[in-house]
Amino acid sequence: MVSRINFPINGFSFYIATLMVVLSLEDRTGSLVFGFIGGLIMDLSTTADTPFGQWALVMTIMGYLFTINKESIGDYTDAPIAFIGFVSFASAFSLLVFVIIGTLLGQQIGGIFRNISLIFANTIWTLLIMPLFLPLIIRVRKALLTSREK
Amino acid sequence: MARGGGNRSRLLLVLLLVSSLFLITLDLRGVNLAGSIRGSVATVFSPVETLFSRLFSPIGNFAGDIRNIGQANEKIDDLNKEIQLLKSKEILDEDTVGQLNQLKNILDLAGRGGYKVVAAKVINRGSSATFKETITIDVGSSSGISRNMTVISDGGLVGVVKSVSSDTSVVLLMNDPSFKMGVRIAGTQSIGVLSGQGGNSYLLQLLDTTGEIKLGDKLVARGSDGGRPFVPGVPVGTVVEVQSNSSSITQNADVTASANLDRIALVAVVVSPPKFDPRDSLIPKPNPTVTVYVTPSPTPAPSN
Repeated sequence: MVSRINFPINGFSFYIATLMVVLSLEDRTGSLVFGFIGGLIMDLSTTADTPFGQWALVMTIMGYLFTINKESIGDYTDAPIAFIGFVSFASAFSLLVFVIIGTLLGQQIGGIFRNISLIFANTIWTLLIMPLFLPLIIRVRKALLTSREK
Repeated sequence: MARGGGNRSRLLLVLLLVSSLFLITLDLRGVNLAGSIRGSVATVFSPVETLFSRLFSPIGNFAGDIRNIGQANEKIDDLNKEIQLLKSKEILDEDTVGQLNQLKNILDLAGRGGYKVVAAKVINRGSSATFKETITIDVGSSSGISRNMTVISDGGLVGVVKSVSSDTSVVLLMNDPSFKMGVRIAGTQSIGVLSGQGGNSYLLQLLDTTGEIKLGDKLVARGSDGGRPFVPGVPVGTVVEVQSNSSSITQNADVTASANLDRIALVAVVVSPPKFDPRDSLIPKPNPTVTVYVTPSPTPAPSN
C-alpha cells in the first residue's frame, strides 16, 4: 500500500522503520538476531538488486549499535516523541550504511545528491507517518513476544 | 555473568557478520542463492500485490491529486462534463476510462511499430529502501515474458524486464541510475548513450564526433541484436538542454523522457521484435499549423 502512494521526492520504508522500533525494544541478543533476520527478509525482496546478504549485514550492524548503546537508549516507550525521532534517525542511518557498503562493493546506486535526498525524504516521512503506527507496532510486539519475555 | 553475557553477544555478532559477508561473497561469485527464493516469494505475493493494487490505487491517486491541487479546478470542470457524458451512455468509473485510453494508445504504438506485445498492469512500485527504480507488473513467464524484454507505455520506453516469476515480473525503469541504452537522434544517424540519473532528467552522451545535438531533438531506441534488451524505434525522450564544453570529447545533453514514469498504470512488454526497423515513424508528429500570408493591397494615389 505504501508503495502505491506517490510521495513527493520519494517514499519511505515502513519495514525499516518497524524493524528499528523492534530492535530498540529488544535486549542485547535479540537486537542482533532480529537485525540479521530482518535484513535477510529484506534481501529476499523481489525488487532488490543488491547482493544477497547486504541488508543482513547492514541490519546486523544496526543491531550491534543498538546493543552497545542499550543503556543510553533506555526505555523510550515513555517518551514517544523522542522515540519517533530516534527511529527516524536510525532508519536514515541504516540507509546510509547500506549506501556506503554498496559503494564499497562497487554497486551503481546513483549520485550523491539523489541518495541524500532519498534518505532525507525517508527520514521526514518516517517522522510524519510512524506516530500513527507506533502504538500498534508496540502492542503487536508485546502480544507476539509476551510468552518469551515471561 | 555480565562478562559472560558480553562475550556471548560479541561471539554472536562475529558469527552474524561472518554469515552476512559469506552470503555476500557467494552472491558476488555468482552462486545464485536468492534467485529461486525471490521467484517463489514473487509467486506467492503476486495475488496479494494485485489485490492491494486494486484496493489502494485510489489512495495513490488521491496523494497525487493533493500534489497537483493547483490544476484541480480545470480538471474538475473536465470531469464534470465527462461524468454527464458517461451517465448518458453507460456507468464507467474514471479510472477505467483512463486505463482504456492508455491501453488503446499503447496498442496503437505497438501496432505502428510492428511489435508483438503483452499488456500488463503495474501492481507495485519498488521500495525506496533499495535505491532502485523498479515496478512490478502482473505478467510473468506463464504469459511468455522473459528477462531483457523491452517494456513500453503509450508515451514510449519505460524500461526493461529484470526478473521474472510465473505470474509477475520486475521491470527496471529507465530512470534508474544503472540504466544505460543506445539511442539515435531521430532524422539523423548520430548515436549515443542515454543514462538514467534517478530523477526525471537523463544524460545523453553523443558518441558521434561529427554529429550535433540540437534543442528539441527526439531520441529513439537504437535497438539491440534480436531486439533484446531493446527493440529499435521506440520513442525515448527529447533533448531539453545541450551542455556545450569545448574541452569534452563527447557532446552531452539533458533529456526528458517521452513516457511519464511517475504515473504509469498500464504497460506493454514487447515479446517479439518487429521484422523491419520502424526508424522514426513512431515519433509523434507535431500538429500541422496553418500559415496565412497577407499581401497588403496598394493604396490608390489621391487624384487632384
